[in-house]
Amino acid sequence: MEPTISFFSGLQISDLWYLMEAAWRTVLISALSITIGTVLGVVFGWILYEGRWAAALTLGPLLDVFRSVPLIIQLVLFYNFAPIIGLNLDPFFSGVVILGIYCASLVANVARGGMEAVSRPMRRAARSLGMSYWQDLRYIVLPIGGRAVFPSWVGVALGVMKDSALVSVLGYIELLKASQILITRTQEPLLILTIAGAFYFALSYPISRYAASIEKRWTS
Amino acid sequence: MKKTILIALSAAALFTSSMVTTASADTLDDVVDRGVLRCGVVLDFPPIGYRDANNEPAGFDVEYCADLAAALEVEHEILPLTWSERLPVIVTGRADVVFGGTSDSLARARTVGFSIPYAIYYAQGVVGVDTGIETFEDMRGKRVAAAVGTVPEQEWLKIAAEWGEEDNYQGYQSENEVFLAVAQGKADIGITTNTTVLPITQQYDNIVAGPRMPWTTDYTSVVGKREDVTWLNYLNLFVTHQVRSGRYQELWGTYVGGDAPELRIPGVMY
Amino acid sequence: MKNLPDLLEAGLTTLQIAVLSMVIGIVIGLALALIRMHMRGPAKWFASTWVELARNTPALFQLFFFGFGLGAIGVHLTPYTIVLAALSFNCAGYLAENFRGGFQAIPDTQLRAARSLGMTGWQAYSRIIIPQVFRIVYHPLTNQMVWAVLMSSLGMLVGFRELSGETQALASRTYRIFEYFAVTAVIYYAIVKFILGASRLLAARLFKY
Repeated sequence: MEPTISFFSGLQISDLWYLMEAAWRTVLISALSITIGTVLGVVFGWILYEGRWAAALTLGPLLDVFRSVPLIIQLVLFYNFAPIIGLNLDPFFSGVVILGIYCASLVANVARGGMEAVSRPMRRAARSLGMSYWQDLRYIVLPIGGRAVFPSWVGVALGVMKDSALVSVLGYIELLKASQILITRTQEPLLILTIAGAFYFALSYPISRYAASIEKRWTS
Repeated sequence: MKKTILIALSAAALFTSSMVTTASADTLDDVVDRGVLRCGVVLDFPPIGYRDANNEPAGFDVEYCADLAAALEVEHEILPLTWSERLPVIVTGRADVVFGGTSDSLARARTVGFSIPYAIYYAQGVVGVDTGIETFEDMRGKRVAAAVGTVPEQEWLKIAAEWGEEDNYQGYQSENEVFLAVAQGKADIGITTNTTVLPITQQYDNIVAGPRMPWTTDYTSVVGKREDVTWLNYLNLFVTHQVRSGRYQELWGTYVGGDAPELRIPGVMY
Repeated sequence: MKNLPDLLEAGLTTLQIAVLSMVIGIVIGLALALIRMHMRGPAKWFASTWVELARNTPALFQLFFFGFGLGAIGVHLTPYTIVLAALSFNCAGYLAENFRGGFQAIPDTQLRAARSLGMTGWQAYSRIIIPQVFRIVYHPLTNQMVWAVLMSSLGMLVGFRELSGETQALASRTYRIFEYFAVTAVIYYAIVKFILGASRLLAARLFKY
């Protein structure tokens, strides 16, 4: 064997940079999926709230499927299904689509809960003040209901951020996939996994603490 | 209003149908038109496919992809695969070609198309230094590991079924996890490829080369779409050109070392 | 689909490991919640660290850690134990928070009233407080059970042959990925519906009044 080629090499400073880039990609795919999922989810939640039995028979069960099948199965299915209908999506977009829909299915329930949290008399009062239906939604339901379910929404968002680790099975190089690559190359699983775990913790912990403190302030 | 919606809908339909048709056209034309060759490569297969110190894909298979792209005068793109993804990635059309030590089994040939063999391997074990496994028979009662969706896995499971030892087998997502399992003592022997044995035993102090597996030599081929015979013909030609130009020997010498195995099957015309 | 019996059997494995990890998770989660509420020093620090780590890192990361992370320091677990340990670790962390919320919802006066009736601390907890807490956390508990089933699918990535792992093995042998995973999705859906239905029936019997 030629001595110039090495198939394994130790951990270097540049690898930390590599992990940081990957952490950035985790943030990117999470932020995109959460944004899409929240917008869609609020719309779905509104349909569920207003649509009554029609929505309960159609949209409800559909969203239920996304909550009842493991994300990893959804990802594998979609990634292998998309090319059959002629869509050539790369791992990133497949991940965004599935994570977005998954997030939407969870947010829909949260959003509906928020709308239900606003009492009927309050809304009737708003309408009788001459507000239109949309003004009522914007100025009454959004601030009051939004406040009630904000902590749950943060929980969903953080959940999606952590679940974005699953997009690694499609080959998208986010934080966990990058650490797997480094483990293959350097054969130091414990150290690299610890670093990756610290990254995740640093992303998630401050937000969850912030949400908890806000919840406390609002309820007291 | 209605009219605009109808126009928009038909435009969307046209757009989707055009995407569908490009997906099913001639791969050779597609690659040249696209200007990019998409190669599926397994990167946990040192020295044939691995990541270098900068975490960039490298190895024999990666060079082969670059050579093929150069012959087509296009750019190349490496799609990292796990072992069990090698065939699906072709069936779904996400890759144009797979260089991934794929054995040309008749079962697989019902799903994808194979070129003539471009590299030859045989299956060999890497064993924990304390396990005392020296011959194939020593594997009785030992814990065996291999990567999910590989020929070694299937061949071993046949033997294990005869021995009644299927419970001692453990499949892993990647070969690297197989080696880690052996190094960490979770498995006594990991079944891999002869070319991988040397780098692995150099990497780990507690892993040594194990016995060769009794099943036949692995003739591995380049994989393409089964229906696309012109593309498979082109791949055949590419493989012969790599040998004729000396590139095959050159790359084998660089990555594996020594003389490249002759790509000829004794006693039969391929 | 001649492999359907294999898949259904693997579905039972999934259900089994989910139930088992829930049982372990409930016991440890309860302990963690009580430690965090009543103890100080290293015990509290340990419990808090457990809870925060379980809740703020991905389940897949935890699974890898129990697999190859611990393997590196000489702790060897079989794929079954890896999945069981990681799931229990995760469930315990999440349930501890649920239990804490449940305990806080019960007024202190109840404990004092029970003690003044002559009950010991242990009796007061096991007969008065904990039954009420379970009632409060019953719904979150059901949700966590569903999560445990869904999470166990990650076992596929560490070579455990539960429903997803079995599916992957079969799919890679036959190259019919889409068909196999579609059937598996249906089986998961059925398992989840079964759990939710069973939980509703049980609730109707347990909380009649």
